[in-house]
Amino acid sequence: MDLNTKKIKKNAFRVTKVRGQTASRIRVPGGYLPAEHLAAIQEIAEQYGNGSVHLTTRQGFEIPGIDMKNIDAVNKLLQPIIEGLKINQHDPGKGYTSAGTRNIAACIGNNVCPYANYNSTGFAKRIENAVFPHDFHFKIALTGCPNDCIKARMNDFGIIGMTEPQYDAGRCVGCGGCEKACRLKSVDALELDHYKIKRDHVKCVGCGECVLACPTRAFTRSREKYYRLVIMGRTGKKNPRLAEDFIAWADEDSIIKIIKNTYAFVKEHINLGAPGGKEHIGYIIDRTGFEEYKKFALEGVVLSPKAVMNQNVYWSGVHYKLPSYK
Amino acid sequence: MDNLYKPFLSKILKVNPHTDIEYTFRMEYAGEVKPGQFFEVSIPKYGEAPISISGIGDGWVELTIRRVGKVTSELFESSEGKSFFMRGPYGNGFDLDLYKGKQLVVVAGGTGVSPVRGVINHFSRNLGQVDGFSVIVGFRSPEDILFSDDIALWKENKGFTLTVDHASEGYTGSQGMVTKYIPDIQFKDINTAQIVIVGPPRMMTACAGAFIERGVPEENIWISHERRMSCGLGKCGHCRMSHKYVCLDGPVFNYADAKHLVD
Amino acid sequence: MAYKISESALDAIIAGLSAQCAVYAPRLLAGWGTSSDVDIVGYAKIEKGSQIAFDKKSMYSFKEAILPISQTLFYFTEDEMREPRPAFAQAVVFLRGCELHGLSRLDDVYRADGKLDFYYEQLRSNTKFIVIGCEDGFESCFCESMGASGVPACDGYILSRGDGYVLISNFDELTDLVKAEKAEQIDFTPVPAKNTLKVNVPDEIPEEVATSPIWDEYDARCIICGRCNFVCPTCACFTMQDIFYDENVNAGERRRVWASCQIDGYTDIAGGIAFRKTKGERMRFKALHKLKDHKGRYGRNMCVGCGRCDDVCPEYISFSACVGKVAKACKEVGGNG
Repeated sequence: MDLNTKKIKKNAFRVTKVRGQTASRIRVPGGYLPAEHLAAIQEIAEQYGNGSVHLTTRQGFEIPGIDMKNIDAVNKLLQPIIEGLKINQHDPGKGYTSAGTRNIAACIGNNVCPYANYNSTGFAKRIENAVFPHDFHFKIALTGCPNDCIKARMNDFGIIGMTEPQYDAGRCVGCGGCEKACRLKSVDALELDHYKIKRDHVKCVGCGECVLACPTRAFTRSREKYYRLVIMGRTGKKNPRLAEDFIAWADEDSIIKIIKNTYAFVKEHINLGAPGGKEHIGYIIDRTGFEEYKKFALEGVVLSPKAVMNQNVYWSGVHYKLPSYK
Repeated sequence: MDNLYKPFLSKILKVNPHTDIEYTFRMEYAGEVKPGQFFEVSIPKYGEAPISISGIGDGWVELTIRRVGKVTSELFESSEGKSFFMRGPYGNGFDLDLYKGKQLVVVAGGTGVSPVRGVINHFSRNLGQVDGFSVIVGFRSPEDILFSDDIALWKENKGFTLTVDHASEGYTGSQGMVTKYIPDIQFKDINTAQIVIVGPPRMMTACAGAFIERGVPEENIWISHERRMSCGLGKCGHCRMSHKYVCLDGPVFNYADAKHLVD
Repeated sequence: MAYKISESALDAIIAGLSAQCAVYAPRLLAGWGTSSDVDIVGYAKIEKGSQIAFDKKSMYSFKEAILPISQTLFYFTEDEMREPRPAFAQAVVFLRGCELHGLSRLDDVYRADGKLDFYYEQLRSNTKFIVIGCEDGFESCFCESMGASGVPACDGYILSRGDGYVLISNFDELTDLVKAEKAEQIDFTPVPAKNTLKVNVPDEIPEEVATSPIWDEYDARCIICGRCNFVCPTCACFTMQDIFYDENVNAGERRRVWASCQIDGYTDIAGGIAFRKTKGERMRFKALHKLKDHKGRYGRNMCVGCGRCDDVCPEYISFSACVGKVAKACKEVGGNG
């Protein structure tokens, strides 16, 4: 069989351990899928695959056991799903245009979760629309609050929802519910003083626990939605690590701009001689230094006065080292 | 319309420290007042605290204050010649007329002595008004004994017992809970004897039980509740027990009613 | 007198009222919910009729308009204490029928035995109350069962209908504004609200119910947050707070804030003593106050069946379900419930 593996991989088909068999990967931005598409997924799995479907770690579907000869046929069946989820595509009917930039993952967000500080799936779709298709290997995830259920800190870009608690002392009875919630469940940024609350904005992570705990609406949410942008988290064999804070109290538009700018940075600095021509952003920054990255990332970005940026970001993570054998 | 929350200034005439944490303040007050009633005493900016009246005299009331919180600590900083803000008196207090001509037994524990101090003082001075007068006063330890000056006077009455729950070796006074001394009381007429019990909730229940066991009718037993009396006007709700506000309907209750009240 | 009025006429009438005094009404407050992007109805000042939320029940009741959550009683300087000016000189409050019944319960407490509460009276006696008519009520409403579904005598009444509004005016300022709109006079008598939820409310609750095991489940279910008290139109408890100002310790204030019998600290007295430690005991204290103890003192049940505590409870504890449990417990202990 003669087959350009680079081409099928870019088309979101995998080279599997079984010769001649592939698997189709379906992206579901934000993990939000109208249930009607499940029927199409079932049809592909039963008609061309082995009848099973794998739920991927990035909230997509992977349909294994597909004969490589059937790639075109599968792409035709994928079309309604691609269109239904409004995935950007160069050639309709030819499947996914690229696969490098991974599915944008998100927690269930404020469509369902009471803790979520924003509609994480909605923002995920906005980012998907802004960055896809692209061959660069970017991992982006969004989470509603600092609980980080989606594990945004293990992505190149992690977006953590924040709200700025609005305090109306006239509605506060000094019950201490917020102070207790903040101390026990979050960062202990509140203090009861003269039966009223003082909030330490430097400590506050904008999680919203105080708002949830308040029985009198003394604490409410800010009209504006804020985000903490954490960057360059990764898994892998060399040096897995959690993403570190870049900007807190950031706005949506700035985040999208920074991510798009990062594509330009990668284009400029990627080492095409790396294995498979792939070099992950984090390793590129390790090579170029953070200052160089920042120059690209902040191009044309106007942060709001509320935003707080780390001028330098330092990562640590795991450096594999076991005691050597005798 | 009167603002019932507005306190008046009352001058401190005398301060009598009993222990490091218990002082009696003699306050200027000319109005009508009964033992068992209380005042809301306050230091503006620090707060109000309900303090029961421990003594009554001509133109003054005595308030025994225990330093246990922010307000009372601040009150302790005051000295003779200075003033407190007060509201009151609140509550029903003890009706001394009810006890006249009958045998009277008073059992008090700890700070519970405060609200009945006026009752004990009155009948100690006017023994002729009652047909027999016994007093059992209990404290946790010899160091916790309050009103030593008064006790010296009360001791002259042979029906007086001072006991401490426990004491270190060498203490020569009576020891044991107040309930231990209830069986020793000689009743002339069990059906008319009046009993006053003031102290912690469990102590009052235990004592009332002991008297009932001896045949005292419930209607002849009087207790005084200590609850969180904050407004003194039956509005703030903190001191409510069933349909009664301790600050308005109490703090003195007849045991026949009190036993139906639920916290 | 009843009038048929249009949306625009109502806007003009409310604008006219709000030019004369403070007008409070249930109003949809954007993003005011605990979770993000949730709008809820709360009490707020309005300037136009269209700001009144007719289709939803308010989360908090009308009471915050006349009984502020946090109210200064005195300002202190070194030697003086001064009462603050009241929040308003005159006000109009739009409220549901259940809430007007609730007002009478607040009156029971704050006007008891002629001992008028100065601060309550300052606002309450200068307020006109206009009832927002409920024909069907909402899912959690059980005002009918509590005998609070009727429309008591009040200063005004408004009902939203498909073709506009019915407005009854019982005070001159409002009548003048209605007449200025040349509103058509109609015959109209308000009808009591109807509920789908029916609750068996015991007439008399024997004291043994206080020790019934029905309260035990709340030990595990309740989180003693106090929301049920704060949304209740009849909860009247408050706590006094004294403070001095950080900037000047010689000045300060005494205030009172709403209190909750469910929250820690409510019964605390000097020496670290508290009287109701378990959540079940606190639920029992609240429930029996609403269904027995207020009645024992003032002759009518405190609870008006508005269902706000059901709607707000994060743990889905339903007070109407609790009433049912109390009724059952009454039978079990041999009462006549």
